[in-house]
Amino acid sequence: MKLMSHDQEEQIVVFRLVDQIYGIEIGAVIEIIRMESITRLPGTPGFVEGIINLRGRVIPVIDLRNRFGLAVLGVTTDSRIIIVETVDVTIGIVVDAVAEVLRYSPSGVLPPPAMLDGEGTVIIRGIILDEDRMVILLNNENILGASEVEDLNRIQAEKLAV
Amino acid sequence: MFSDAEVAVFLEELEEKIQVINESILILEREGGLPVVIQEIFRAAHTIKGSSAIMGYDKMARLTHELESLFERLRSGSLEVSTHLVDTLFEAMDTLRSLYEEIINNTNGEDIEAVIVKLRGHYEERPVSTLQTADHGGDVVSGCPLQIDETIEEVIREAELIGFQAYHMRVVLESDCQMKEVRAFLVFETLQQNGEIIKSMPGVEDIQEGKFNDEFSMLLLTRDDLDQVKNGVLSIAEINSIDVTPLSARETSVQRDNEALAGGDVIVNKDAPDSGRKVRQNIKTVRVDVQKLDTLMNLVGELVIDRTRLDRFTEIFEGKYGSGELADSIADISNHLTQVSRDLQVEIMKARMLPVANVFNRLPRLVRDVAQKLAKEIDFIVEGKETELDRNVIEVIGDPLIHLIRNAVDHGIETPEEREQAGKPRTGTIILKASYVESQIMITITDDGRGINAEDIKRLAVKKGLLDNGQASRISDREALEYVFAPGFSTAAIVSDISGRGVGMDIVRSQIEQINGSVELTTTPGRGATFTIKLPLTLAIIKALMVGLGERVIAFPLIYVVETIIIKPSDIKYIRHNEVVVVRGKVLPLIRLGEVFNDFRNEESVRMSIVILGSGDKRVGVIVDRLIGEQEIVIKSFGSYLGQVPGLAGATILGDGRVGLIVDARTLIKETGIEDGVYAEAN
Repeated sequence: MKLMSHDQEEQIVVFRLVDQIYGIEIGAVIEIIRMESITRLPGTPGFVEGIINLRGRVIPVIDLRNRFGLAVLGVTTDSRIIIVETVDVTIGIVVDAVAEVLRYSPSGVLPPPAMLDGEGTVIIRGIILDEDRMVILLNNENILGASEVEDLNRIQAEKLAV
Repeated sequence: MFSDAEVAVFLEELEEKIQVINESILILEREGGLPVVIQEIFRAAHTIKGSSAIMGYDKMARLTHELESLFERLRSGSLEVSTHLVDTLFEAMDTLRSLYEEIINNTNGEDIEAVIVKLRGHYEERPVSTLQTADHGGDVVSGCPLQIDETIEEVIREAELIGFQAYHMRVVLESDCQMKEVRAFLVFETLQQNGEIIKSMPGVEDIQEGKFNDEFSMLLLTRDDLDQVKNGVLSIAEINSIDVTPLSARETSVQRDNEALAGGDVIVNKDAPDSGRKVRQNIKTVRVDVQKLDTLMNLVGELVIDRTRLDRFTEIFEGKYGSGELADSIADISNHLTQVSRDLQVEIMKARMLPVANVFNRLPRLVRDVAQKLAKEIDFIVEGKETELDRNVIEVIGDPLIHLIRNAVDHGIETPEEREQAGKPRTGTIILKASYVESQIMITITDDGRGINAEDIKRLAVKKGLLDNGQASRISDREALEYVFAPGFSTAAIVSDISGRGVGMDIVRSQIEQINGSVELTTTPGRGATFTIKLPLTLAIIKALMVGLGERVIAFPLIYVVETIIIKPSDIKYIRHNEVVVVRGKVLPLIRLGEVFNDFRNEESVRMSIVILGSGDKRVGVIVDRLIGEQEIVIKSFGSYLGQVPGLAGATILGDGRVGLIVDARTLIKETGIEDGVYAEAN
């Protein structure tokens, strides 16, 4: 990545979902762990995989592939769970592979294209062009948006109760 | 200017003082102007005045200053306690509380002028001198030893905090001194260059008019040391001699340093003066941030998990290597660890516990206010307020209690006239009591009012469409009373509600159930009613029954488990497509645990294990794959991202590190459970 003068550089963790490349701000990443058995939860939205035990803490794990409507490939040896944290919410994200830590400058971030599948737009902060690939920069605050899941849970539960 | 920690300390002490004053005003109203009580209020107000002035909260300092002035008059007897006065006092306290909230919320709208005018209106505007000047007009006053009263002492104490030293100084002038008042003036001038004279004997006016013999004395606050002070004065002409003695305030104050979090000796008055048992205990306390306690609690939770793992390991080990020295050692260590961690658990739980008095304290005032508004006479008795509850529970239980008490005053107790007509004493009684029962806290609110009539409830429930006539005639009185807690059920005649939308009692119940508690109503129409609240001692660690479902391990909170039974598939009968089984002559509805989770199938088996869950009168049997055993588990919430997951109360970490799910037994029972005897026997 060519350095733009006087720009503060940010760093992102780059990972792959199926065949797309995504990035998430390194400040939000707590750790990256190998895939482990995820305890499934009944009555939660499809992209919520379940919960895991992270050294005594119960952490929910989501599958962005499901969220973004990508065909799920299944688990491979490259699969990882990225543990992401904001002020008071911690979740894990299942990814197909983790590539690297990339430096970029915020001024080089392009706005997300207008036409994306509905769910995706709020989560995507922008696009970074890095040499020959396009890295989709995720908006970590929105992934961790809490009430949305609870609402979805409730809708799910109401449907099932009928 | 002041750090968050310092402000926090200030606010905590402010809260305490406000509490003390409120309670004391209630006593004043009941028992009249007892000197001890007046003194208590005076001290508290004075302390607030001092500290709020230092912190820069001028409105608060002014208001408490006015309170102080008023209480000074009560103290000296020039003002009497009356209902009107008490009302004004409470108004002032309400304003004070609003100022407290202003500080917390960082707002600034409260106007204190109105209440100050009211306070002053109780006495004439005549400046009362707190200095003990002998105002004999014209007489010559000799410099008798200064009396150091509370106020002065407080001022000295505060000055000492910022580095001043207090001195008592006696100045004797030459007997042939002309113009005594000029000499005195010079003395004062000199001293005030480096300090402050807070009191003089005789009073300042008398000294200025030369109305003293040859000597006068004063209280001086200065940063200079003894010699500097002496020399300063001696250098003035015609001074015969001076006497200087350093003074220091007695160490009885509650507010020592702001920096250290460790407090000094705190004198706590445990009971009101009229209870016959004046116990003043010195309690050494340390102020601990609640977060630290929460962290400790988490760590203890981790220990519980590891303890379980160690147990399992010990079993496996013994299984592999048989018994012997090594196995014995491990067993020993494991047992000891279990014991110690259990003790640690108990102690930390206790550390997080606060006396329920924290919540109960506001209630007497509430009762008084509401009773007054409704012109009812009520005796409010509080018992067991030293009973301790987990801090989190205390925070949640306040609202429901307020609501229930308000309800008792509003709808429970009749007007004095009605009571007389019914042959009851004019004054109604409400008793609030807290106690330990088994492993729970029990809080009861009992009134001797008009009680609740089951027939009325039934009628109203039918009217609201919650029941049809047929059901209404079938259900028992006990069951009818349950409808008091139904959502949308509220009658102005029977229960009060907060906003007129019939949301009262059901909110109370769900708030209590949220912390794994329960609330029940018993009543005798015409005689009164009792609300019984049961709460667990702690929220985080519970005993559970572990069961297996396929590969999963699921936990049922033990308080909801009535018993477990084993049945054969052929024992299952059907009532209208629902599976049931007959247990000791009673019909028990069944559900399959796998279906609760909606995506697993139960294993078919020759022997089926059933966990019978129960709460109140309701029962339901849950079919599981296998029973594992009883265990203490740490409840881990799902966190804010997932929020409430339907059907589950939380998760737990198992001995082998896997995650187990905890069933929301309460909701399950509520939605699928059946009361004993509702179904006739099958076949």
